Amino acid sequence: MSLFEAIRNAAAVVLVCTGSFFFLVGTLGLIRFPDFYSRTHGATKCDTVGAGSILLGLALLRGLHADVLKILAIISLVLLTSPTAGHALARAAYRTGLRPWTRLVGGGGGDAD
Amino acid sequence: MKRALVIALLAAVAMPLLLAAARMPRFGSVEQPAYTHVARRYLERGAEEAGAENIVTGVILNYRGFDTNGEVTVIFTACAAVAAVLACSGEGRRPVRAGTPVALSPVVRYVVRLLAPFIALFAFYVVVFGEVSPGGGFQGGTVFGALIIVTTVVVGRDEAERLSPERPRLWLQAAGPLSFLAVGTVGALLTGWYLGFPHVPRAIAASMLMALEFGIGVGGAMVLAGIFWRLGDEA
Amino acid sequence: MPIEMGRLFDLGLMTLLVLCALAVVRTKDLLAASIIFSAYSLVMCLVWDHRGAPDVAMTEAAVGAGVTTVLFLSAISKTVRKER
Repeated sequence: MSLFEAIRNAAAVVLVCTGSFFFLVGTLGLIRFPDFYSRTHGATKCDTVGAGSILLGLALLRGLHADVLKILAIISLVLLTSPTAGHALARAAYRTGLRPWTRLVGGGGGDAD
Repeated sequence: MKRALVIALLAAVAMPLLLAAARMPRFGSVEQPAYTHVARRYLERGAEEAGAENIVTGVILNYRGFDTNGEVTVIFTACAAVAAVLACSGEGRRPVRAGTPVALSPVVRYVVRLLAPFIALFAFYVVVFGEVSPGGGFQGGTVFGALIIVTTVVVGRDEAERLSPERPRLWLQAAGPLSFLAVGTVGALLTGWYLGFPHVPRAIAASMLMALEFGIGVGGAMVLAGIFWRLGDEA
Repeated sequence: MPIEMGRLFDLGLMTLLVLCALAVVRTKDLLAASIIFSAYSLVMCLVWDHRGAPDVAMTEAAVGAGVTTVLFLSAISKTVRKER
């Protein structure tokens, strides 16, 4: 294995591990955060940073190949759609009158259940 | 008395069915006809006989064409049933024009407008390349139907309905069964059986398959959109 | 005998499927149930793809996780949200 390849593999491993870490943290946030807005925030981070860096790592592993173009297309799609979905969710919640959680209000922050 | 009659009738129907089931090869047994010769024939000669590189497409549209014809008819019937039920529940069926209670964000609108052509292109690709790669009429049609639904939600129904004009809508929704009828008749003229596919000039069978794929795709998309619009109508 | 990675993945997906199915049946809130059902479809889509049926996986992703959920939601918005 040449030095270049070793560096490439190491970078790919680092990227995939970073992505997995973000997924783990995002999922923890989805479970542990107190209200709708912060949960949406956690879930959206998962999708953009987590999936983005995992896919980038996979593209690095693939090397010069047509598949890399497909992976790049998937990354741009995810980067475009996931924040939009998060934005739409948060906006719909805000416009229908869901109050964000604060330490003072506490509880479920006016959650429906 | 009536109860006893019902039980006797049920038993009379159930007995032959159970006997027939008992005579069938055991579930998963290697002696089933599907495993002994049908699957091998499909895998060995499917690519040349069925007119499609993708064996799944060949099996669905050519070997098991009657099955798919029935399925497509069922899908169209589902749409018709939804229309019938929802049209019965209220006297007028005026579409709601008031819009959603929450005004839609310009960000969502922009992103959907940006992505819509790509989604449409992908749907078209899935339909056209169903012959050589995974995909086909059902899959592409569903993707296109989902696009119409997203457009309806985000940009509004008026604009989305331009994708499926009012007048030919019923014909478009029936495109699946109609394309099977047309291709089946062409097959009958060419080979003598309904839905028969000629082997020799491969281009003919391939173009018949393509016509079926497009019929299924257009029909499926319009049926999905039709059901969604019906549900949105004011009852 | 070491268990192969693919088998392990399959087993995990199947467990998730059963859990999702139970959750759908047990949930009284129809909105939550339809969202869980869409998660079920997503897992099912992975199972199809893992079993070598990408055609079916595509349909499952588009119909099961996408369109069916939308249709369920619009049906719920015409009726009531809680199961009685």
